[in-house]
Amino acid sequence: MKMLVVYQKLGLHRFLGHLDLQRAMQRALRRSGLPVCYSQGFNPHLLLSFAAPLSVGIQGEREVMELPLGEPVAEQDFLRRLNAALPEGLKALQARLLGDDAAPAMARLEAAVYTIVPREAAPELLAAVPGFLAQTAIPCLRKTKSGERMDDLRPLVYNLLVKQGALHAVLAISERGTARPDQLLASLAAFAGVAPPRCAITRAALLDGRMAPLEDP
Amino acid sequence: MNRDMGQRLEMLLEEVQRPARYTGGEVNAIKKEWRPGRTAFCFAFPDTYEVAMSHLGMKIIYEAVNAREDMLCERVMMPWADMADGLKAAGIPLYSLESRRALSEFDAVGFTLQYEMSYTNILAMLDLGGIALRGGQRGERAPFVIAGGPCAANPEPLAEVVDAFLMGDGETATVQMLEVIGAGRREGLRRERILLRLAGIPGVYVPSLYESVWHEDGTLAAFTPKVEEAPARVVKRVETDLDAACFPAAMPLPYTEAVHDRIVLEIMRGCTRGCRFCQAGMLYRPVRERSPGKLLEQAQALFEATGYEEISLSSLSTGDYSQLLPLIRGLNERFEGRRVSLSLPSLRVDGPLQEVLADSGRVKKSGLTLAPEAGTQRLRDVINKGVTEEDLLRAVREAFEAGWNSVKLYFMIGLPTETDEDVLGVAALARKVVDCYYALPREKRARGLKVVVSASTFVPKPFTPFQWAAQDRLEEIRRKQGLLRNALNIRGVTFNWHDPETSFLEACFARGGRELSPVLLRAYELGCRLDGWSEHFNFQAWLQAFSDAGVDPAFIAHRAREKDERFPWDFVDIGVTRGYLWLENERALRGQTTPDCREGCGHCGLRRFEGMCPE
Repeated sequence: MKMLVVYQKLGLHRFLGHLDLQRAMQRALRRSGLPVCYSQGFNPHLLLSFAAPLSVGIQGEREVMELPLGEPVAEQDFLRRLNAALPEGLKALQARLLGDDAAPAMARLEAAVYTIVPREAAPELLAAVPGFLAQTAIPCLRKTKSGERMDDLRPLVYNLLVKQGALHAVLAISERGTARPDQLLASLAAFAGVAPPRCAITRAALLDGRMAPLEDP
Repeated sequence: MNRDMGQRLEMLLEEVQRPARYTGGEVNAIKKEWRPGRTAFCFAFPDTYEVAMSHLGMKIIYEAVNAREDMLCERVMMPWADMADGLKAAGIPLYSLESRRALSEFDAVGFTLQYEMSYTNILAMLDLGGIALRGGQRGERAPFVIAGGPCAANPEPLAEVVDAFLMGDGETATVQMLEVIGAGRREGLRRERILLRLAGIPGVYVPSLYESVWHEDGTLAAFTPKVEEAPARVVKRVETDLDAACFPAAMPLPYTEAVHDRIVLEIMRGCTRGCRFCQAGMLYRPVRERSPGKLLEQAQALFEATGYEEISLSSLSTGDYSQLLPLIRGLNERFEGRRVSLSLPSLRVDGPLQEVLADSGRVKKSGLTLAPEAGTQRLRDVINKGVTEEDLLRAVREAFEAGWNSVKLYFMIGLPTETDEDVLGVAALARKVVDCYYALPREKRARGLKVVVSASTFVPKPFTPFQWAAQDRLEEIRRKQGLLRNALNIRGVTFNWHDPETSFLEACFARGGRELSPVLLRAYELGCRLDGWSEHFNFQAWLQAFSDAGVDPAFIAHRAREKDERFPWDFVDIGVTRGYLWLENERALRGQTTPDCREGCGHCGLRRFEGMCPE
């Protein structure tokens, strides 16, 4: 059996890199005394997988990780014991016991919901959204190992709304393609003819192919 | 930090590299309330967060001070260049990780002096923290800037910067210094009065209470206290019972990976070997061990508080710890099935290596690290590194037989009396190590031989038998490095060396006097900081600083001293006497070794103090 855990990464904890977060979670699990599992081999490591790494500086409201368990633990017990070992900013919100045959969260992941709040009012940027979405293609410069290449962002932007001065975006995040919020911002700003504003970015949810929360398989 | 400043800080954190270094809020961090009557101390580590969080001493002092109801201890480290510049540009003072208060708000700020090349970072941190760089310029409300650690044994280069130094172990004495500062402030005493009281604490040195007079030739003529409260000799502090000494039951757990990110158990302090180049070996005498029972208790508490995956044992000479095997067995037993590995650093090759290796089946295999320090037996005798080539090769052979494939060998270049033959001896020894590997049948040896030879540049240090010695000039070091580089062109061997300029400056700050304070201040003005990081090290600026301050660095680094020359650090009594060090110097030049003092007292001077050195 395995446990799917929904947790938050808020406040100052948004500054943790993905490796930092991994280490922090693994050590918290070790302190908790929960029946975790380890890999085989010479340098065994605690088995824990994250649905989607989150960039440094971005908050996460409902992030998802999964881990196999060596023996059964009730969901509420699991939550209580893990939270006793976690700092407030990384609090676990929900635990769901899944069968071993459940597809990994990482494989089910299809999209993520982002809230992008400009730190200073950006009316031109927000006003440009309808025209931006009406484009048939959105060129986007992407840095790769071998250099830079032009990608089309349009099919990866599932939805983009303006609500109360903030952008709400549903962006693809899967093996077939991923759009990052900073890429969206850069492209939108270029379209609007303004400099990309500084924003507070939060990932509000991770979605599966049904556009339903990943934690509800 | 007010709201507005806090917002500017958040913006800055979004721009700098690895912001998790500057946020605090780690698991096990202690955030106490600031209130009247509680003395606020900030432990300042003059290097980056990753280095600082690897340092056991900081964690010990953090625990010792925070254990006091009437004190609090917070932490601050040297920000990386992007953050330092960002703080300055945003008008945010350097702040403590716990309560985000400016350094200037604390009652005392305490630096640990681990390395001479961190001195400009001290200035940068004071400057960013809103504290005047010179002690004499600090006002009544400014924090007391105190310092300790191994480099405090020659405090003089920082005489104009630091208000009070502590010599020796800090567990008890740091708290005593804070008691005096806290009480003095509550009584409303003036700064000068508090400094006089600090000078009365055993082991404390207040540089502004002393004056130096120099001879025409630049050597020291006299060093005398200006007031009667200042002792003519400052005797170092010693924690005689490590089981009773403070040791943290929890350590702030860094989010971003520290250089040494694991549980560290200090099994022993001090070393009886008497290697003649080694300052720590003299400074930390006498040898004191922690009992396995105490260590197991500490390991358990630290595991529960951190969840760390690894335990390492810390001491100057782990192989000499008398209870090593019981300790390793105890740790293995206790952590069986909990996935905690044990790493054993820098084992001396003549320790009970075989047994330990055999016993470490459940111990993480990290490769064998040996420090022969010199390439020939003659030179090893000069430096009293009581290790023979046979010992070394036996250890290597056993390691290869046990399935290890990597060996690291540490050497020094520029040791007193060194000839080209000694330098080439390093390569000859490396070749023999390689031969040991190929002597094993192919199916019995692990694949992928890796021998790493590292050669550092010798730095003569105070309180060693080589404190009289000259350091090789830069061009001579480069010539010897070239010689070795050519000779080490051996398959399977990697050679590491460093540009000698850093070692040259280390030599200046290791043995310089208070005339170096203006050099240091000038170097900081010229932009020097993070000097221990090659990408920031600016040798030309340093030469400029020496020149502007009218100090000749070659006179400090490259000059051999006369027997009776007065040294800037002579007033510090570390236990080992100057007479003993001179005898050792003479024995070195004759190539005579001195046995480990557990085999018979060598009369180093510690026995002048009752109870300090066990019979």
